[in-house]
Amino acid sequence: MIPVSLAGTASYLPATVRDNAFFQRDGDVATAHGPMFRGSRLRHHVAEDETAVDMIVKATRSLADKLGLDLTRDVDLILTNVSCPDIPFTGSGALVSRELGCQPMFILDLHNTGCISFVFMMSVARSLMTTMGAKTALLCNVQTSAGRVFAHPDNRFLPQAAVPGDGCGVGYLVASDESPVRAIATRSYGEFSADMQVKSDDGGAWWAPRTTPLHIDFTESRVATIVSRGNALVPKIIREACAAAELDVEDIDVLVTNQPNPVFLRNWRESLLLPPEAHVHTFEEHGNLFGAAIPISLERAADTGKLTPGANVVIGGFSHAGDYAGAAVVTWRPN
Amino acid sequence: MSTQTIDINTIENVRRFENFGKDRMNGLCMEMTHAVYPHDEIYGNFCTLQAHVECPAEDIFEYLATPYTLAEWTYSMRDFGEPDANGVVESTDKIGGETKIYTKVVANRDALTVDYHCAWDQPDHLWMIYLMRVVPAPLVLDRPGSVVLWTNCKHPFYDRNPHPEKAPADRKVWVGDLWPFFYAGHQVELDNLKAILEYRHRHGLTFNPRPEGVAA
Repeated sequence: MIPVSLAGTASYLPATVRDNAFFQRDGDVATAHGPMFRGSRLRHHVAEDETAVDMIVKATRSLADKLGLDLTRDVDLILTNVSCPDIPFTGSGALVSRELGCQPMFILDLHNTGCISFVFMMSVARSLMTTMGAKTALLCNVQTSAGRVFAHPDNRFLPQAAVPGDGCGVGYLVASDESPVRAIATRSYGEFSADMQVKSDDGGAWWAPRTTPLHIDFTESRVATIVSRGNALVPKIIREACAAAELDVEDIDVLVTNQPNPVFLRNWRESLLLPPEAHVHTFEEHGNLFGAAIPISLERAADTGKLTPGANVVIGGFSHAGDYAGAAVVTWRPN
Repeated sequence: MSTQTIDINTIENVRRFENFGKDRMNGLCMEMTHAVYPHDEIYGNFCTLQAHVECPAEDIFEYLATPYTLAEWTYSMRDFGEPDANGVVESTDKIGGETKIYTKVVANRDALTVDYHCAWDQPDHLWMIYLMRVVPAPLVLDRPGSVVLWTNCKHPFYDRNPHPEKAPADRKVWVGDLWPFFYAGHQVELDNLKAILEYRHRHGLTFNPRPEGVAA
């Protein structure tokens, strides 16, 4: 593999902000204090007419301003992952390219690896840079399922509805050693792939005309298993990436993970024996951003002065009900 | 049975002073002592909890040896009936909706052990076994009260319901699905047990309560 660096990240968050009251029926005090609300105060919801492409374009323009990029010249690869895809056939990447005037060698719209697809995209981009001569890659994560799925009148009072939040995070990889990616570790666990489903009360397939909305469902009988699996998978893959980078876990300066709920965040941090301030997340304001949490939290780390020269930045997480785990180690601008 | 003498120190995985020196032992202990342990390593195959309870050991034994008290301190076992000819008592486990749970108490007053042999859905093979032991706290902690120890072992049936045909229709959960939550669920129940026993002790209440309609 050639040296590849994570040059920076940027974000866009939809204008609509929902507080916890949005998910309570009038006078329903019980849910206001229930476990699903623990740790979350606000989350953004994508607007009805706002697309994942709109969000990526805004976040990427912000990234270009920060890094001084000429988007017509400086994007060889575009990779996207959209949690609730709104361009099902063409895919978002081609439209992003059109809107921004990019001239990429490749566009890849990923459908899998959900909440940790940023690491998967890093891995794929690094491979394409090594084998195909690409020099730069734009990685785009968009979470749209909060506004699209969980704001629906039939879904918003479900216990799970308050957890997701929409947002877009983009990252920029370059073939250089300015902020080197020292290791990437990934694992697929096909055996855990059937525990999260998209369901609708009318029982119809997602593409079928329907009268009831879709929602995401975890197999009821598997919840305890999924929690314990998630607790274990993420520290394990992070330790694997750290070992490959020859980094002692206690030397992690900044940890960024996906942010499914505050219990996972606490358990992963405890497992790695890191102080709370080393684990950067935005759960309280943004909820579960799915894949977008990684670039958005990296931006938060930069904005709060945590990405100091030479900082050991570790990214980790898992997707869906545990079908995939990934981690990466980056040394932030060592020179 | 052979009476031939053996050298214990030659048995694989046996480490004793004679075959494993103090320096090596110290090194191994250092290596084995972690700051944190993965949940599965501690609670993956066995689930042991313990608590100190401000209540004499004999009273706790009497309370635990009465199956009807399970309706008080467990999270979800309710509606106990009379014991059958084998001493098995039927009740409902509310976490399984209408699920019937069968319990036989196997208690030893001298050892202060109370084991609950249980199963969901059928009384013929009681494979869910809750092992409880009460230890007088003056002995082990030099303080009044008792220590309650509680262990479950992960029987293979937790992973595989042996009698799916006996489950109530439409039941979506199996008791073994909850094994990863056993530590948490049992801790809640042990906290219940402690609170109830201490209340009964403080207020001089009976340790052998019976539900209405069940003969003493």
